[in-house]
Amino acid sequence: MDMLLQALAQGLLMGGTYGMVALGMGLIYGVSSIVNFSHGDFLSLGMFLCFSLYAAFALDPYVSLVFVFPALAALGALVYRFLIRPIVGNHLLMIIQLTLGLSFLLQNGLLMVYGGQPLRTPSFMESKLLILGDVVVRMPLVIAFAASIGMAGMLYFVLTRTDLGRSIRAVQQNAKAAALMGVNVSRVQLLTFAFGIALLAVAAVLLLPGTPIHPNQGMRYTVITLMTVVLGGMSNFAGILLGGLVIGLAEAIGTIYVSGVSGMILPYFIFVLIMLFRPAGLLERQG
Amino acid sequence: MKPEFFRVLGSPLFALALLALATLPLWLPSYYLNIAILTLIYVALALAWNIVGGIAGQISLAHSLFVGAGAMVASALLMKFGLNMWLGALLAALISAALAACIAWLDFRFRLGHLSFALITMAFAEMGELIVLGWDFLGGASGIYLPKDTGQLSQFQFGGSSGSFWVMLTLATICLIVNLAVLNSPLGYFLRAIRDNEHAAQAIGVALLRNKVLAMVISAVLSSLIGTAYARYISFVDPYLLASPVLTIEIVLFATIGGLGTVFGPVIGAGLLVPLGEILRGQLGGTLPGLHYFIYGVVLIVVILGTPRGLAPLLGRWTRQLIARAPRTG
Repeated sequence: MDMLLQALAQGLLMGGTYGMVALGMGLIYGVSSIVNFSHGDFLSLGMFLCFSLYAAFALDPYVSLVFVFPALAALGALVYRFLIRPIVGNHLLMIIQLTLGLSFLLQNGLLMVYGGQPLRTPSFMESKLLILGDVVVRMPLVIAFAASIGMAGMLYFVLTRTDLGRSIRAVQQNAKAAALMGVNVSRVQLLTFAFGIALLAVAAVLLLPGTPIHPNQGMRYTVITLMTVVLGGMSNFAGILLGGLVIGLAEAIGTIYVSGVSGMILPYFIFVLIMLFRPAGLLERQG
Repeated sequence: MKPEFFRVLGSPLFALALLALATLPLWLPSYYLNIAILTLIYVALALAWNIVGGIAGQISLAHSLFVGAGAMVASALLMKFGLNMWLGALLAALISAALAACIAWLDFRFRLGHLSFALITMAFAEMGELIVLGWDFLGGASGIYLPKDTGQLSQFQFGGSSGSFWVMLTLATICLIVNLAVLNSPLGYFLRAIRDNEHAAQAIGVALLRNKVLAMVISAVLSSLIGTAYARYISFVDPYLLASPVLTIEIVLFATIGGLGTVFGPVIGAGLLVPLGEILRGQLGGTLPGLHYFIYGVVLIVVILGTPRGLAPLLGRWTRQLIARAPRTG
């Protein structure tokens, strides 16, 4: 029973963070139908930037966010403007292939700069634990979960209450109609992409304390994010957060109950099952 | 079979190219010969993938499963039960075929879209790698070492680099011929109809299930056989190389850069990039690990933005222009 509680706590906290990473991707998909297969590598890049800031100026990752957030936002805007915009509206497969190329480029660029050794970035929060009865969780995980929920709430506020948010939702619902109403569609798409990538800076900072990083990790994060977004029905916010929880729980239960790497199969297995029986996502009405 | 099939196969150029390639082991230094072998392996894999990914337009990211099955299962059966590797290769191919049929059936039964298909096949590939890593019978994380290659053909041993080269050349040629055969047979027309518009294809009576299963099974069996030969060639069966989803992405990348759905696209893509990558890795691998993958990524992005249909159609156009211009200038 203790083990189950421990797994549930761990899974929920991780899942919340996965949900936030996936929100960025879902937002981008909703506005410009881009499925970004290099999403995890941008997250990875964010983590390595934090590491560099620590190595050079001994900055705590939570402080580095101030610099990494605008850096990733700018990079996202550049990537969108020069690589992705020329092929928006083409076949989905072309976008998948282009972002796979981008993933190879980012991942191995990091490998060339930082080498293949796992790197750690210490933080003042790293070794703190939260103890609730029999359940022990690492403090950074709790912060990550709380911050993710906070970010999701903020995103909801921006989308429903601000002009930019309204134009984003307008483009999401019908880009042509939004253009006719005077929304600058291509500007909205650019901003959304930049913002979706910048959100990864937040995720990078939250996931970093106590986690060793390696250039190869990007692919795994991409797969987890894609699974979460698809489970959520691509651009349904509540669905994506729920998808994150499902994947996080499956991962925690798999690793705690099954010894060795075999336990890591569980999230993929659950994903395939859900995909087959609810292909439109967890919360969507089935067509 | 359309006459086009025999025109390409019967052309003296094709025979001459094969013959010239077959003499490589006789004079090429062993460093370059090994690069040539690796190139042929990827040419063969890209061609095998092209049947599903190019001709039928289904971006399958599950092909590391088939290559991995060919490599790990045949090697494990040899080392654990002493089963002859020819039989092992056959068994592994059967397993791959069964897996492929299952995946194609899922695709048909649950009407997966392009994105769902790519993701589900990727999830299968991730599961496959984890199964190999977690199961000692298949070598676990430490892999399997095969006995030394003494050149006994009956034991699936081909006697070092030259023998392996001819085996890979044969496999790549078989993959090329299968691609040509599929493209010029009714199956190829059905698959292209499915690729261009699945609903329209079904409406005019193309059997979706039968054709999808057929394409996937052909592609999987070829990939599995290449996997067994690859394992025998490198003698150390490394799950992180042979069962990893990264392998599939490399294959997809080569086929896309060369030109999806064409016969010569995958040949050109892998044929240009693998030697380039390997030579760069040989020169700079110590100081800049990952440089060759970095360059693959750059080339892929440039090709997608510049000539989205791949290098093969572009090269074809250039050759035709050259030929058309030749009489005037000459």
